[in-house]
Amino acid sequence: MSAQEIVFENVSKFYGDVLGVNRIDLRIPPGLTSIVGPNGAGKSTLMNLMCGLIHPDRGEIRVLGISPREPERLMRITGYATQFDAAPRWATGFDFVASSLLLFGYSASLAERLAWRALEQVGLTEAARRKVISYSKGMRQRVRLAQALAHDPQVLVLDEPLNGLDPVVRAETIALFRQLAAEGRHVLISSHVLQEVDAISDRVVLMANGMIVAEGDIRGVREEIHEHPSQFLIRCAQPSRLAALLFERGPVAEVRLLEEDGALLALTRDRRAFTRTLTLLAAEGLPVETIVPADENVHALYEYLIGGSA
Amino acid sequence: MTARFRLRQAWVIARLELARVFLSRRSLWIYGLALLPSVLFLVHSIDVRYRLGKARQGGSVPPAAIEAIETGMSEQQVLALAGKPGEDQQRTVRRWSRREEKGREISESREVLSRRMIYFDGRRRAVLWFEDGVLRSKNVYEILNFTEDREVYAGVFQYFYLRLAIFFGCLGIFLNLFRGEMMDKTLHFWLLVPARREVLLAGKFLAGWTAAATVFTGGAMLAFAAMLWPHVGAGAEAYWQGPGAMHALRYAVAAAMGCAGYGSLFLAASLWIRNPIIPAAVLLLWEASSGFLPELLQKFSVLYYLQSLCPAPAPMEQDVPALLRLILAPAAPLSPWLAIAGLAGFCLLVLWAAAAGVRRIEINYSTD
Repeated sequence: MSAQEIVFENVSKFYGDVLGVNRIDLRIPPGLTSIVGPNGAGKSTLMNLMCGLIHPDRGEIRVLGISPREPERLMRITGYATQFDAAPRWATGFDFVASSLLLFGYSASLAERLAWRALEQVGLTEAARRKVISYSKGMRQRVRLAQALAHDPQVLVLDEPLNGLDPVVRAETIALFRQLAAEGRHVLISSHVLQEVDAISDRVVLMANGMIVAEGDIRGVREEIHEHPSQFLIRCAQPSRLAALLFERGPVAEVRLLEEDGALLALTRDRRAFTRTLTLLAAEGLPVETIVPADENVHALYEYLIGGSA
Repeated sequence: MTARFRLRQAWVIARLELARVFLSRRSLWIYGLALLPSVLFLVHSIDVRYRLGKARQGGSVPPAAIEAIETGMSEQQVLALAGKPGEDQQRTVRRWSRREEKGREISESREVLSRRMIYFDGRRRAVLWFEDGVLRSKNVYEILNFTEDREVYAGVFQYFYLRLAIFFGCLGIFLNLFRGEMMDKTLHFWLLVPARREVLLAGKFLAGWTAAATVFTGGAMLAFAAMLWPHVGAGAEAYWQGPGAMHALRYAVAAAMGCAGYGSLFLAASLWIRNPIIPAAVLLLWEASSGFLPELLQKFSVLYYLQSLCPAPAPMEQDVPALLRLILAPAAPLSPWLAIAGLAGFCLLVLWAAAAGVRRIEINYSTD
């Protein structure tokens, strides 16, 4: 198994008679990966399995070559922010982060330094001396993130990390995730909100009913779905003419003129030929302003693959 | 990772967990259990000291004078022997009697002069009851009875403290170490640190034991001090110079070892069994019936070792039914060192079983 990837091999987990996840085969490379699915899809189960909070009934998991049954090694390279608060009633945000660092064997002074750095990363330094029980939902989310980040892990696992964050903090947090992923770390986030995942992920793992229905980068996944034509939103000063030319020359299945001025939606089963035609038309002087894939997003993929929205 | 590093980790876990154990709202009743004997002995001591103070105000007589007083003596003879009493009350009472005369029952009354004198010899109180100037009854009792107080302490310690207070206190503390955190949905904090599960178990056990031993050893010693308090200046010093300090130490060790024994069992039970009431009830039954068991099986009872550590056997009234006497009677005790070693070995065995349980523990907040 690769020491650079998170690997699930034929992993199944049942809670009594209830299915958690079933026959998961997955390899996650470094970068920002989103696990997406509706509530009950098995996202948290997958993350809990990865971090050793639960054990698989079948199959094997390796996180950069380490078994989740070896927390002593695994948790040195992994930080996991769950959906649940773990801070004791008496703990301030700083105490909570610093005390967990003591368990890594750091000296008190180093633990303090690392705790402050992590709290700064999540923008929580001002509230660090307040008790966690007095924090808002968003602040609790951030202090959990700080705790997961504090020991500078190679693998960061975050269960619904954007829940409860206000727009500004959300943007900052997403930027932080991107930065961490760009540094070559594995950043795994779960979400049931498809739009937010679209904006930030290098790759997605779509889950439903405890199984993986698709995985990969969003475009790659989209291209594998042949039964649904690809959709492109085009802005053009002469939409009717463009529609006629596309029907005449391009392999389009359908073109819809939208109510919005200068916009049309084209559906095609041959993306390459379609884009080639559009490029030619633009070169011939047709005023095409923008071409945007309209269904290269998780929401559309979910619609196609599962037949319902998450 | 070295063994030293793991020990340090266990210590850090224990330190962090201690605050949670000591400050947990679920633990408040445990303080009540631990302090109950101290409160009882304190109230008793205050009462004794009050009665002593009151008795001393009336002056005291030599003990020999009290010994010399016998029923049938007249008031004058008693006064000549013992002098003026500390308390002296007189009153006239009407006494009714019945007699039969010519087949009829006749009821008649007469006035009787009743007098109560109380003498005090510095330790004992003699209550003398006179009727018509003649001593009818003499009741001598000790306000301050060190032997009796020590026996009461031994009884309270063995019947209440070991069998109930420490038992249920450890149930509360040690079951909460894992199961309480599962209910609070905070257990994942510990499972997500880079520590072996066995180290986590050791740290949590250490925290639970430190808390339980502090509370219950402290409670036992407070009660011991409260028991000794009224005897200061009346024999307590001699006792303390003699076997007293060792007795206190043995009670303290018994309380601490009781916390270790019951604590390890409840910790293991919390990792293997979902409903804590069942193991608690089974263990309580096992401990209570250990007197019936063969000697080999008795060694699997925590109480067997704890009774061996106690400096004095628990007192037992003569009229205790034979069956109960059999249950309460300890088996042939071990030497204290053997008892400590045996109980420590027993704890290690139970913790070894608990380690297997902690390795398989899973976070499943939705179903717990």
